Amino acid sequence: MSQQPHHPDPMRASAAVGPRTKTTWSIRGKLITLFVIIKVVPLLLLAWFAWQGQNWLALRVSDSIVDMFEDMRETARAVADSMEKKAVEALDDSARESLERVTTDTARAVAQFLYDRDSDIRAASALERDEAAFRRFLELRTRRIERHYPWVLNPTQTAWVPGPEATPRYYRPNAEPSVEDNKRSFSYRQPDERGVVQDRPLFLEMTFVGLDGKERVKVTTSDLTSPELRDVSRRDQTFVKAETYFQHLKDLKPGEIYVSDVIGAYLPSKIIGPYTPAAAAKRGVPFAPEKSAYAGTENPVGERFRGLVRWATPVAENGEIVGWITLALDHDHLMEFTEHIQPTNERYTPIYDAQSGNYAFIWDYKGRSIVHPRHYFIVGYDPETGDPAPPWMDAALYAQWRASGKTLAAFLETAPTFLDQSLKKKGAAEQVRDGYLGLDCRYLNHAPQCSGWMDLTAEGGSGSFEILWSGLWKLTTAAAIPYYTGPYGKSARGFGFVTIGANVDDFHRAATEAKKAADQIVAERGAQLQGQLTDVIDLINRQVDIIARQLTGSTAIMTFLVIGVAVWMASVLTRRITTVVDGIRRFENGELSRRLPVSGNDEMGRLAQSFNSMADRVEESIQRLKEAKTKAEEASRMKTEFLANVSHELRTPLNGVIGFAELIREDAETEDMRENAEVIEKSSRHLLELVNSILDVAKIEAGALSIKLAEVDAAEAARTAAVAHTASAAAKGLSMTLDVADDMAAVVVADPTRLQQVLHNLIHNAVKFTETGGVTVSLTLAANGGAAEFAVRDTGPGIPENMREAVFEAFRQVDAFVTRGQGGAGLGLALARSLVLAMGGELRLQSELGVGSVFIVSLPIAASRSAAPKMNVPATTQAAAQTAAQTTIS
Amino acid sequence: MSSQSLRALVVDDMPVNRLLAVKLLAKAGWTVGEADDGPAALTWLEQNPDALELMLLDISMPQMSGQELCRVIRERKLGGDGVRIVAYTAHAMPEDAASFRAEGFDAVLVKPITRAALADTLTGLGLSG
Repeated sequence: MSQQPHHPDPMRASAAVGPRTKTTWSIRGKLITLFVIIKVVPLLLLAWFAWQGQNWLALRVSDSIVDMFEDMRETARAVADSMEKKAVEALDDSARESLERVTTDTARAVAQFLYDRDSDIRAASALERDEAAFRRFLELRTRRIERHYPWVLNPTQTAWVPGPEATPRYYRPNAEPSVEDNKRSFSYRQPDERGVVQDRPLFLEMTFVGLDGKERVKVTTSDLTSPELRDVSRRDQTFVKAETYFQHLKDLKPGEIYVSDVIGAYLPSKIIGPYTPAAAAKRGVPFAPEKSAYAGTENPVGERFRGLVRWATPVAENGEIVGWITLALDHDHLMEFTEHIQPTNERYTPIYDAQSGNYAFIWDYKGRSIVHPRHYFIVGYDPETGDPAPPWMDAALYAQWRASGKTLAAFLETAPTFLDQSLKKKGAAEQVRDGYLGLDCRYLNHAPQCSGWMDLTAEGGSGSFEILWSGLWKLTTAAAIPYYTGPYGKSARGFGFVTIGANVDDFHRAATEAKKAADQIVAERGAQLQGQLTDVIDLINRQVDIIARQLTGSTAIMTFLVIGVAVWMASVLTRRITTVVDGIRRFENGELSRRLPVSGNDEMGRLAQSFNSMADRVEESIQRLKEAKTKAEEASRMKTEFLANVSHELRTPLNGVIGFAELIREDAETEDMRENAEVIEKSSRHLLELVNSILDVAKIEAGALSIKLAEVDAAEAARTAAVAHTASAAAKGLSMTLDVADDMAAVVVADPTRLQQVLHNLIHNAVKFTETGGVTVSLTLAANGGAAEFAVRDTGPGIPENMREAVFEAFRQVDAFVTRGQGGAGLGLALARSLVLAMGGELRLQSELGVGSVFIVSLPIAASRSAAPKMNVPATTQAAAQTAAQTTIS
Repeated sequence: MSSQSLRALVVDDMPVNRLLAVKLLAKAGWTVGEADDGPAALTWLEQNPDALELMLLDISMPQMSGQELCRVIRERKLGGDGVRIVAYTAHAMPEDAASFRAEGFDAVLVKPITRAALADTLTGLGLSG
């Protein structure tokens, strides 16, 4: 049996280890992949979304904060601007109101003052015309004038400052509320009078002028005018040789009053602005402030303008005019109306503040400056000639005058007035150099406010406007002085007009200060906010960084965790499967006692239960099979031993029988004895064959039969076998036919000796059981070409259907044969079938009762030769086969 | 019996088989001793210490099997150095013959024997003569 291919355990063969392992890994891997996809991908997406959102939020917050910051700053700025604008407007309005009021009040006061002088002149006209009366009259008429304490140059000689006497009066402690309840909005002002107050005569002189123009009576109160009696019909005999009043006197009727213009000597100044050593040096003039015109804070030590306004009225006796009485008003009293006005919160000043531009001043009805802090601006006359000092003209007009070659008076008679006044025009630089700067609005064409004032006062009214003067916006007011006596009654402007100039900025300084403060606050807060903004944005950026790190870290950790959980879950889920698979594999590998742990009542638990019960049954079956196999093997072994013993026990006596029969035959003295010995010998040999057959069967069943496979010429084998039995067949009168086709050339795989044994056995039986007819041995190829088929056909009685298997079984007796005394042949067929099977072939039986039987031996064609074409059969064999095919071998 | 004739010992518990072998050998010119079992054979060998050419030993014998007897003879070097020991047995299974050879037998002569079979065996052992 060693030739048979080894078949592995069918259960083991059914399941290979590789695929199962792969499947296990695959489920776990799939689960892990699934978990990772389900968890990690959304996790990463969430992290990404969160990061995007965070970035977006940070950007939005940053932008919003920046926008809010900008908006807030803009708002604060706008509020400050708006507040300032409103405040400025309100303050300006208020200031304008206030200044206009001061202006009109001053103008009215001046007018009233002048009207009072009308009363004086009327009263004077009724007086006795003697010196004593005049003196008494003048002594009764005085008015207070405040003069400032001396000012001095500061130590650096860059500015005039209050002197030692003035200082304590300017800087005095403020009053404090003595009672708590009055503390709120407790407002205190220093005394307004801070200078030296003098009681000064109103009039400089009082005269009685005769009809011939000669002064008859004359009283003076100062040394300004001459105490000598003069002929005033002559101009050179008058004050600064400039008075012309006499010519108007003759026109006066009794009771009528004549009032002159302001007459005074012009005081030049070669320096405009603060008169300091530096300024003098710059102008190239000696520093001599005392010899220059007084200019308030700019030159507090200069020479003051002195002038007069003369009132005159006829003196009548018995209805006849006998002369005229005159009163010369000291110009200082006019100046006193405006000298201390400070158009700021200070209200009053001890000294005319020329420098600040905030001051009040007066113009006459023609627009000539008659009161001004800078006395060189006051129009006057050349005391040498009595002619008007040249007024400050604009450069073009001045050039025109110089080009005309005319005297100033002649030029001005025909010169245009108020000619296109504009800030664009420049004052004549030559006049500045010479120091002749009297302001006459008619020719002051580079000062357009002149036209403004004239416009405002043309009908006796008042008002204000703003003008950009010397780089500063100045509010300037004008109010006509409603004094219409004498020549002043010719125009609605009356005596002239009071103006106040003030820096607009000063009015709303509080507002601009507030604005500055607000701007500063905005700027500071802006800087703070900018810092905070930077901090916040830094914070946001840091936060974004932190969140980015945290997000990355947490996502990474979460991812690892999720993967870990996924692996763990997959392991948990697959562990039971793995356990089951492992258990099944072990069971398959022979651990039949292996059972699966049954945990839980779920599908896996039921699977394990099912497997366990199946395994129980399989183990039981295998156990039974093993036992059965053991028993069968035991039985077979016992049978083999039995057969071997039988063989041994039979051979032992046969040894004597055959041996001595042979001795007898050899030593026989008679033919009869020799024949008898032969019978004994033959019979015992037959018995030996039987024993040998028994032995062969036993060998086969014990697996001890050695089969030596080789390539065998099938046709030769058939012929050899057939020929061997030709004689015995002929002896029974039977034909022996060999039927092998001409082209039949097959090489089979077989043990040649055993093949002959089989064929001999079959032919022998055929001959033995056939009484008439014959035996045919044939060789054909099987239908599929893979086998050669030897057929041994007889014309015997045939084998009943129910015996056709039994004849192949060892030791089974087929009654029909036995009873006919044919001897046992069953053992031979059993042996034949065993041998054919051992050679890889098969033995079949076809039989028909009364017709005969055919035993067919089918053996595989040699693989190396099966495809070969016709084989080279030896000539003798071929010839014999040919013969056999046609004729009965005999 | 010529002193030049070959000497053999046949050991078989069955008299018939022992006799057959003795006769066949004697017919071929051998000088044949016989014994009916192992101990008897050993006794015979001690009593006939002359060298032998051949021993035919039955296998299945009471008291001492042919194998054991063969082993003892080989151990004691009985019957001479050149003695050929043949298993004279009815055990006909192929593995039997192999095991006999493995246990010291030089040849196996399967019962039943014929004169030709014996002659072939002796020829195979180089003892024809």
